[in-house]
Amino acid sequence: MANALSDVQATFLSLDAQYNTLRAGCKTPAQRDALAAQYSTAQQNYQSTLNATLADDDAQVAALSTQLKAANAQVVRATVELGNISKVIDDITTAVTLGAQLVGML
Amino acid sequence: MPSPVRSYAAIFQIRAAIAAVCFGCLVLIAGCKTSEDAAAAATQMSATAKSLSDYYAALSTILSDTDRIYSLNETLYSKPYSAESRQELKTTQAELAKRITLAADLSTLAGSFAKLTSSTAPADVAAAGNNLETEVDSLASYNASTGEQNAIKSALQLLVEAVQAHKEHEAAQAMDSLASGLSALFDKEAPSWKSVDDVYVQLAATLARNLADQNAVDNSAMLKPALDPFGLAPSVPVPDLNTKLVALAKQQISARQAALISSYGNAADAMSKSLQEMLQRIHMVATDKPMAFRIPPLTVTTVEQWATEVQSH
Repeated sequence: MANALSDVQATFLSLDAQYNTLRAGCKTPAQRDALAAQYSTAQQNYQSTLNATLADDDAQVAALSTQLKAANAQVVRATVELGNISKVIDDITTAVTLGAQLVGML
Repeated sequence: MPSPVRSYAAIFQIRAAIAAVCFGCLVLIAGCKTSEDAAAAATQMSATAKSLSDYYAALSTILSDTDRIYSLNETLYSKPYSAESRQELKTTQAELAKRITLAADLSTLAGSFAKLTSSTAPADVAAAGNNLETEVDSLASYNASTGEQNAIKSALQLLVEAVQAHKEHEAAQAMDSLASGLSALFDKEAPSWKSVDDVYVQLAATLARNLADQNAVDNSAMLKPALDPFGLAPSVPVPDLNTKLVALAKQQISARQAALISSYGNAADAMSKSLQEMLQRIHMVATDKPMAFRIPPLTVTTVEQWATEVQSH
């Protein structure tokens, strides 16, 4: 596909660079119309081949997008869990308090 | 006065708690190096996400400029710009928009990962540890020695750092294949986006040459090297002088065309390297292989410069 893109690109750019000279050489409106039609086709070929190469990657782009969101959710969750550790220690403190109260009853 | 039984029970409890925390540290302590590597990976990820976003934004500008050149060519030189071609160009812009969203998502992920690696939990835990120690001291009538107090604080701190490293390791595992996929996608698509830049630069250069040939360009800017040092500006363009400068103007167009193509190539290479560097660093954290040495994050100034240059056109 990459070679096809480079081929249609070369054709289009070559025609674009020479267009004014070629048009000046046309002797009849029909020749000018034919030249314009060729230019239009070359331009469209280039644009559609470019899109075909990008569309090939659509599934990969969609998969990466999903993976990105999932990874972000996991990282956010990890951050929240980490932030909760000091709360866990606070809970332990409460447990120790209760434990010590129990020891006090011995 | 607490009974000897209660004091011994409290001492036993505290020492058991310290031993448990220390044991937890020993189990998890290997992860502490991970945290430094994770911070390095997060920094690289942030730099890469920003550059990727700038890179795609600049390509979006290039596509818009290409659309304008097509329209100018149609108006000035009767080069057709069909409805089909316009639609194809819009489709390319839509494809690019998907990549821009991807870069934005990477930026969000980089932000979340940076938050994880710079979490204040280890610092927060010190305060919680102090509370715990105070509670133990007051309730058991047992005053822990300074050494034991420090042991509790240090052990809790190390435990939380180890847990943080463990979380970073897990997060990196979730990002590992993603980073690899992003890097592979970028390299795979490189020829397509290079084509977008090549076509824009060549179309613009051809149009500029045509306009120069028609004397439709003010070439007096070419006189700047001679006039600027003396604080002088060229007068209103003199037709004869302008015509004489056309050849020089066209040389400048060709030189600038080559420089623009080269500038894009350098930016794309730098972007690819930055993605690979990000992948490598994330992979190190994910597979728990500490970096032998840590180089500063690979900055992508080449991409930033190119993007700024494009946006300033």
